[in-house]
Amino acid sequence: MSKGFASNFRMTLIAVAVLACFLGVGIRLIFLHVIDRDDLLKFVNKARRQIVVEQARRGAILDTKGALLATSRSFVVVGVDPEMMNPDDIKSWPEMARLLKLPRAELSGVLQNSMKVGRQALANSLTPALENKRVRWVKLAEEVDEDVYDQITKLKVRGVYGARNFKRIYPGDTLAAHVIGYVNKEGVAVTGAEHHLDIYLKGEDGWIESEKDGARRELAQFRSREVPVQDGNDVVLTIDSVVQYMIENELKLIADKYRPKFATIIVSEPHTGRILGLANYPNYNLNAFEKAPLDAQRNNAVTDIIEPGSTFKIVAAGAALDLGIVTPASIFDCGQTSILYKNRQLKLPKEDEPFENLSVADIVAHSSNRGAAQLAMLMGEENFYSYARKYGFGQSTKFQLGGEVRGILEQPKNWDGLTITRMPMGHSIAATPLQVHMAMSAVANGGTLLRPQILKEIRDAKGNIVRTFAPEKREQVLKPRTAAVLAQLLHRVFTEGTAKGFEIPGFELAGKTGTTQKIIDGKYVSNRHVSSFVGFFPASRPEVVISVIVDDAKMSKGIAYGRAVAVPAFKHIAEQLIQYLDITPLMIPTSGALASNGGAR
Amino acid sequence: MRPPPPNTLVNKIVALTLCLLVFSGTLGLGAVWVRQEIFSTANRSNVLETKLADVERRLDEVDAGVAIALNPASLLRRNETMRLGLEAPKQIQVVRMQGSPETRLALKRNQEIFSLSTTARKSGPTAGNARLVTASFP
Repeated sequence: MSKGFASNFRMTLIAVAVLACFLGVGIRLIFLHVIDRDDLLKFVNKARRQIVVEQARRGAILDTKGALLATSRSFVVVGVDPEMMNPDDIKSWPEMARLLKLPRAELSGVLQNSMKVGRQALANSLTPALENKRVRWVKLAEEVDEDVYDQITKLKVRGVYGARNFKRIYPGDTLAAHVIGYVNKEGVAVTGAEHHLDIYLKGEDGWIESEKDGARRELAQFRSREVPVQDGNDVVLTIDSVVQYMIENELKLIADKYRPKFATIIVSEPHTGRILGLANYPNYNLNAFEKAPLDAQRNNAVTDIIEPGSTFKIVAAGAALDLGIVTPASIFDCGQTSILYKNRQLKLPKEDEPFENLSVADIVAHSSNRGAAQLAMLMGEENFYSYARKYGFGQSTKFQLGGEVRGILEQPKNWDGLTITRMPMGHSIAATPLQVHMAMSAVANGGTLLRPQILKEIRDAKGNIVRTFAPEKREQVLKPRTAAVLAQLLHRVFTEGTAKGFEIPGFELAGKTGTTQKIIDGKYVSNRHVSSFVGFFPASRPEVVISVIVDDAKMSKGIAYGRAVAVPAFKHIAEQLIQYLDITPLMIPTSGALASNGGAR
Repeated sequence: MRPPPPNTLVNKIVALTLCLLVFSGTLGLGAVWVRQEIFSTANRSNVLETKLADVERRLDEVDAGVAIALNPASLLRRNETMRLGLEAPKQIQVVRMQGSPETRLALKRNQEIFSLSTTARKSGPTAGNARLVTASFP
């Protein structure tokens, strides 16, 4: 019979030893997990746990053809942890100074000092009272490129590491500055699309709760909670970089020649309301926004109001034709200086040149103030006011980038006796350049007033379209037939009227000049003007609307008429747009048309 | 039947305990191995994520560089510095035509080919003419 391989005593001894070991381990575990738990957890959390915030990449702003107008680029802020520094790395400092473009002596000074601070801090760490005074980060350089940072990491200097940051870049510098806006150094979107479309652009930061090793590397296996980062959406604007460049270039020419207070050019498509270009002078560089004066940052197209002057005559002419109270051939006596209206003899405004009998077509072509006044009187205050409102004056255009003012259009009950004679010529009313532009767009768009469209679509970070913006109708201002007739009358401004000599054969330019005396200290002055031209082409099938508004142009000789200041700019832009947008002529220019243009085409 | 001697029972208990220890040890080691695999996979995927983010960052950087280079003002500056003399066409330089320009160009090209081959046939089989016609074919 077997007695087993060990005696009872030995077996008991082994069993007791094993049990004692287990007991020892158990007791130690009780100490670790129960008795010392809080202190140990505090220590472990401090030493190993970390919450890494992953910054969302801000979406890009693109033009209608996908060219980048604003984007985010990552930069590295390089710093050093004084407590981690190793004296053996001193030999790498000169190379690091070269890469960081810092003077060698300066960097050595900072690092030596950091090393001293680090040693002191390590000593302090033993004293709980001084624990909070430890320095773990000394900044060495900001905005270090990724390539340079790669080279720095290859040097393997202990304690030197970087933190990534996104910085906003505007590839076009000044291009569409007032439309795009900027994000300031604190990451706050301040103006323009950056500010008003921030909700689409900013995205959502993500964060990861995990642990790190002694070299501060994340231990991915210990990730306990993770909220994924959501990058911002890309915003596609209706702006076309090339058109924008053209008009900004034209503004530079205007600024060099006339030194205006401000100038605005707007180009849009009449049938969609899409703005292809919107530029103001003065302008500023988005990459150096901190140097730009606040005045230069104003989007004058929507924030400033002007008296529209004769460009406003489209209201009186359009309304009278639309109501059917006149035809283009109806004759008015524009030589009379006063007129009887509601039993009162009203003085009519002055003309720039003497007129006698003019048809409605001639009133528009030659910009007769008295003719426009008589058209308004014929329809009455209420009708005239109602049409002015329909054209969008005195109310917001609902511009998507905000910041706009409504302008001033008083109700007829607040008008004085002369307002009915002055408002039709664009006095006693104030409007933003964009309001004037959209009013002319309504004529070009068959009488339909649209909301100005600056947003084309929103795309997610993967490039999928998540939202598109369709044209929005605001008002039917004129009947389509009336709008077509008015467009032809406005074409006569080029063939016979105030813009004669600026025609481009075959393209039926149409528009209205405007010259308004400025109000200084409550009085109209005769030597300072707002010069404007708002037009479109081709008149029979409008494809593009252009507004040129120049405030306070300084002329070396004569008055700053819209014809002298704004019409040449309009023509120059139109010539470029014909090529760029491939606008085809309506007819082959005849030799007669060429001759009328001095032989030029 | 006689009951087994007490030593045999103890031996059985010891053997069972050892088996239990081996089994639980295997389980423990297995758990450690699985955990280690999880750790290394997590770290590998973390490295890949970092690389991916790095590539995306660099792509953004390249995109920004391309956008700066393609900005109309930069292109015009380059046009000047490289003396390319490129200009937008003027209306007088543009000839507008009905129909597809590709068809017109093909028609023109075919006409040239056929007129050349006719000329070649009329002037006799000289080596020079034949070469000229052949060279016209794509």
